[in-house]
Amino acid sequence: MTSVPADNESAAATPAKSTIALTGDGDQLALTGDLDIGTLIEAKALLKKWSKPGAGRALDLSGVGDMDTPGAMFLCGLNKHGVELTGIHADHRALLDLLNGLDLEPLPPVPSVPRWREIVIQIGKAAHDARHEAADLITFVGRTASWTVDALLHPSCLRPAAISRHVSETGIKALPIVGLMAVMIAIVIGYQGVAQLRPYGGEDFTINLVAVSVMREMGVLITAIMVAGRSGSSFAAEIGVMQTRDEVDALKVMGIEPMLVLVVPRVIALVITLPLLTFFADLMGLVGGAAIAQFQLGMSPTQYVLRMPQVLDGGDFFVGMFKAPIFAFFIAVIGCMHGLRVTGSAESVGRETTRAVVKSIFLVIVLDAFFSILFEKLGI
Amino acid sequence: MTARTKARGEPILSARGIVNRFGKQLVHDKLSLDIMRGEIIGIAGGSGSGKSVLLKTLLGLHQPNAGEVLLNGEPVQSISATEKAALFGVLFQQGALFSSLTVAQNIMLPMREHTALPDEEQEEIAAMKLALSGLPAESGIKFPSALSGGMVKRAAFARALALDPEILFLDEPTSDLDPIAAGGIDDLIRKLNDSLGITVVVVTHDLTTLFTVCGRIAVLVDRKVTVDTADKLMRSDNPWIHEFFHGPRAEGAMKARKASHGN
Repeated sequence: MTSVPADNESAAATPAKSTIALTGDGDQLALTGDLDIGTLIEAKALLKKWSKPGAGRALDLSGVGDMDTPGAMFLCGLNKHGVELTGIHADHRALLDLLNGLDLEPLPPVPSVPRWREIVIQIGKAAHDARHEAADLITFVGRTASWTVDALLHPSCLRPAAISRHVSETGIKALPIVGLMAVMIAIVIGYQGVAQLRPYGGEDFTINLVAVSVMREMGVLITAIMVAGRSGSSFAAEIGVMQTRDEVDALKVMGIEPMLVLVVPRVIALVITLPLLTFFADLMGLVGGAAIAQFQLGMSPTQYVLRMPQVLDGGDFFVGMFKAPIFAFFIAVIGCMHGLRVTGSAESVGRETTRAVVKSIFLVIVLDAFFSILFEKLGI
Repeated sequence: MTARTKARGEPILSARGIVNRFGKQLVHDKLSLDIMRGEIIGIAGGSGSGKSVLLKTLLGLHQPNAGEVLLNGEPVQSISATEKAALFGVLFQQGALFSSLTVAQNIMLPMREHTALPDEEQEEIAAMKLALSGLPAESGIKFPSALSGGMVKRAAFARALALDPEILFLDEPTSDLDPIAAGGIDDLIRKLNDSLGITVVVVTHDLTTLFTVCGRIAVLVDRKVTVDTADKLMRSDNPWIHEFFHGPRAEGAMKARKASHGN
């Protein structure tokens, strides 16, 4: 093909502000200039007196240069009010005919509900949803437990490759961030402890405070929240994306149970990794405690380590570790449940992922509070 | 000043010596293409032949490794965002309607950004664009998720037309549509080209669209582009082009072309 050098004086490339003017008087007026989206308001203002129906009026358009669809629509409106359009260019004729041929209707008003009713509706919806969410969660926990037990009883159904992949994803890759968080939390508690206990001369007990709270509560809680944010969300998003691409249905059609290949390996993997991560977080928390002891209390690391057996007993460690697999189970179950609840669109993946994270962190904290009270009553 | 008042038949958009490379893979090798004012040109090619990359290059969304795209003689990269919005309208393959806005708000968005029109006028224009695209006014207050595939394409059409662009780019406008809806889209393309004088660039696999709507067809083969009318391309001795225009599906589309040219 031949290429023609484009050297035309393009107004589009160097846009001049389009202008419009009205000449003539009485019922015989003429428009000159451009009638486009930029001059529409001006043109409407110029021809305001003709906005009511009437007869015997004419508008000459021979001076109109450029016209676009909004401009043509305005002229068609005038025409319907009895204004005769004269001197129309051939180019504009097609445009006006097109617009005249359209069946123009205004946009219908958006249906609106009074605010007080909206509030009542929202409360009702929220209550209804909460009930269904709770029922769904309980059902799904039951289904997952049943399939997991089933898989454990028939080890050939287990998928070691999938489990080890998830252990690596949720565990090994989370080590740096979990460790860092544990050190930071220990330092935060330590600083507060020293500041609060110093007036009573009891700042040495800061070590007890840090060690016990990290072992019993903070180690596992921080780890569980981190894992909920990291892995619970990724479970929901991974399964959710599979759901949008019909991959889950493809599994079902092939006679493969999605619970067994998608949910069970993730649950088992997280139940393995969260206790290990918690153990790591406990150690790092104690390291943070050692730093506080060194810099705030002037206690050497050796002295700190030697104090530990007096400060901690086996019960503290057990209390923390006991909670880890339970948190892990719920984080994994909630992540998978929301992933499987994704319907079609991509935005629902985002929505369900957010819900999964919020719900699992909420549940982790509620369960932790419950366990705190329980262990207190049991005297452990 | 715009397409409507300018003579047809001069290049409005020219790609010169475009080279696109991804890693070691050469997609376009010194490709040149002139798009004439007021024409409907189809861009066809096999999967992976670089149709979408070419479209993005023409739009200035993708910077080619070499070569340039000229719009009215000016490099497309140097055109400001506001001017570009008034010059280009794009119908993306999936519609790309903003899901958080209603259809009417989607259409009004470019007007809201680039003009000073009051809300009433914007709504009036949005309703007109809907009618122009063949949608009822009620669909304006719906959200894109409540529309069928064909309606999404029409709504996206209406949004692409919001600022009366000079060039309309359509990426697979008839894919995922049933034949009736696809035929409706074909008619719409013709109608807009006839009455508004819009230059239309259609990227498509749909042979019926290529044969019945497009004046010229640009076929991407072997990293180059071959541009001609359907009749001449039918006689091409390039094996891929021959197969493309003489396969069993092409025969059916040719019948449609004869039928549409007959009446």
